Amino acid sequence: METMKMMLVDDEERFLITTEKLLSRKGYDIVTAGSGREALEKMRSQNVHVVILDVKMPGMDGIETLRAIKNEFPLVEVIMLTGHGTVESAVDGLKAGATDYLMKPTDVSDLIQKAEEAFEKRLRLEEKIRMAQSRRYMKSPREILREEV
Amino acid sequence: MEKNHYKSMRKNILASMVLVPVIPLLIILAVGYYYFTTSIESSTIASMQRIVGDHCQMIETFLNERKADLRLVCDSSSYHTLKDPERLQEVFVNLQKGSNAFVDLGVFNGDGIHVAYYGPYQLTGRIYGEMEWFKEVIKKGYYISDIFLGYRNIPHFIIAMAKVEDGETWVIRATIDTFMFNDLVKKFRIGKTGESYILNRDGIFQTERRSGGSLMSEDPDHLKYPSHHSGIRTFLANAEDGEKYLYATIWLKEGDWILVVRQQKEDAFKALRSASYLIVLIMVIAGVLIVGLAFYRTDRIIRQMEQMEADRENLSGQLIRATRLAELGEMAAGFAHEINNPLQIINNEQALMMDIWAELKEKGDLKGSELMTDFEDSLNEIHIQIARCTKITQAILKFGRQGEPVVKDIDLQRLLPEVVAMIDQKASVHGIQINQEILSDTPFIRGDSGQLQQVFINLFNNAIDAITTRHGVSGGHIDIQAGPTEDGKAEVSVTDNGIGISPENLKKIFSPFFTTKPVGKGTGLGLSICYGIIHDMGGTMEVRSEQGVSTTFTIRFPVAG
Repeated sequence: METMKMMLVDDEERFLITTEKLLSRKGYDIVTAGSGREALEKMRSQNVHVVILDVKMPGMDGIETLRAIKNEFPLVEVIMLTGHGTVESAVDGLKAGATDYLMKPTDVSDLIQKAEEAFEKRLRLEEKIRMAQSRRYMKSPREILREEV
Repeated sequence: MEKNHYKSMRKNILASMVLVPVIPLLIILAVGYYYFTTSIESSTIASMQRIVGDHCQMIETFLNERKADLRLVCDSSSYHTLKDPERLQEVFVNLQKGSNAFVDLGVFNGDGIHVAYYGPYQLTGRIYGEMEWFKEVIKKGYYISDIFLGYRNIPHFIIAMAKVEDGETWVIRATIDTFMFNDLVKKFRIGKTGESYILNRDGIFQTERRSGGSLMSEDPDHLKYPSHHSGIRTFLANAEDGEKYLYATIWLKEGDWILVVRQQKEDAFKALRSASYLIVLIMVIAGVLIVGLAFYRTDRIIRQMEQMEADRENLSGQLIRATRLAELGEMAAGFAHEINNPLQIINNEQALMMDIWAELKEKGDLKGSELMTDFEDSLNEIHIQIARCTKITQAILKFGRQGEPVVKDIDLQRLLPEVVAMIDQKASVHGIQINQEILSDTPFIRGDSGQLQQVFINLFNNAIDAITTRHGVSGGHIDIQAGPTEDGKAEVSVTDNGIGISPENLKKIFSPFFTTKPVGKGTGLGLSICYGIIHDMGGTMEVRSEQGVSTTFTIRFPVAG
């Protein structure tokens, strides 16, 4: 089974370092990015499954980055990390395609739980895609042969 | 504003309210009085003058007519015929037919011997040659006497006429009835005291005066009358009897007699006095009305101003408080947001430390000691304190920016029991009885039901805390009342019989971060959030409390619709 590759996006460097250490220690594969732009660049070269995205960042903010990610990598699951105590800012993220949200300050255990849920969702989605494709095989193997040629 | 300010303002308004109508009123009354009195005076004097003129005319006419009667006798008869007593009687009877003022008739020769007489007395043969009147008539041809007594010793006056016939002078004389003449003059009446009379040059009454003054006596006032003049004179003078009179005089009978018409001044100008009374009455009534109205209006104006002032102060007080709360809320929200980022880092650092600590222990790199327990305890405490900070920042953020509330019509008759149900369990655990008195005509209000639940839960929880502090687990009760107010609002009041709130604390009760609870138990934001919610709905929230007795929170909402 595929292992989850998580990406942390936040402008707080120390947050990235510590959280990466914590999560790595628990056996997760972690990529970090200090800005939305950096995150998109890294995603192009590495296959990321789940992104933990801070809402408030200088330059390209969380919602913008979220839209760009969803645009380029529709299958990537994004969890918004909001500093606001209220749900409203998170709702904006959910509307723009985020899978879930977390409120700062959040415990690592919560973070892992949400990330795992998102990853499972991702896996289920991939499974569905595979199933759909395989159904096509059954229907018309010749077409598939033609496609592959 | 200070009371003094209103006092002086009241004085100013009162003064202008009294003076503005009073000054024109006085001017109108004064002008009216002046013209009225002048017109009354002149019309009184004019009527006096007319009366004296008419009277004079009448008397002159009377005398002239009698004179003409006698002249006719002279001209139509000769001395010889008239000497005959029978003829004389015939002439007299004819004369009396013309005017019954004639009393007798006599004929005299040039020496003044009464040669013939017809009348009630026996005068024939008497000699009048030396009498004043006889000399006058011989000189002037005719004579009308003053009133005198004569031989007969009765007041009378005579008209005599001389005629020269064949070189011999003879005289005819008639006596005029003084009573009749007297009546003619005396009959005049005006007002109560108006009277008329005739005096001769020496001030002797020729006719009686009604107010006293008999024939032939002397008028004590006669020196006051003007000496001979033509036309009519009017004047005011004090008579000897002490009264003041308005006089009108005219000389008649070629300046022998003076006709006097007089009336007491009081009587003549009676209309003036009643006019004065009327004016005083008007002044008093109008004055009382003006002053009364001025006091009434001024009081009302001042009361309105005070009310407005109080309203304004109240409003600006509310505004200041609301603004201050909003500013504080925004500041706190920004602060909480910024704190959340470092908190997140601390949280993760602590988590990492715990992780590493666990690994070290597992590997057996650490020798078990009391220090290790302390260290671990400290790490755990950091986690607890972070959780506490998180609670605070989240409460602050809730208070600061609520986001857009979902506004709907809300039925308090449904919402309140729902909220009560939420805390019912907690209340019954503490032995608190909840009484709900929600009137069926409680109007619907508009607001966010989530926010309202938050407000009421907050109030109920505070009430429960206050009660348990005072009563422990029995004897507490919370009374919830709802209904319409007289000014068309919906009112909800929550009363508890808890410990109450001190007056100092009552002032700060809605301020953010104000709490009386022990550290870590309350954020001090609950009531200020409630206040903000109610304020945003356009409602008001008030609190009354008596320490150790009860506390009542009263919320008034604008009605939906």
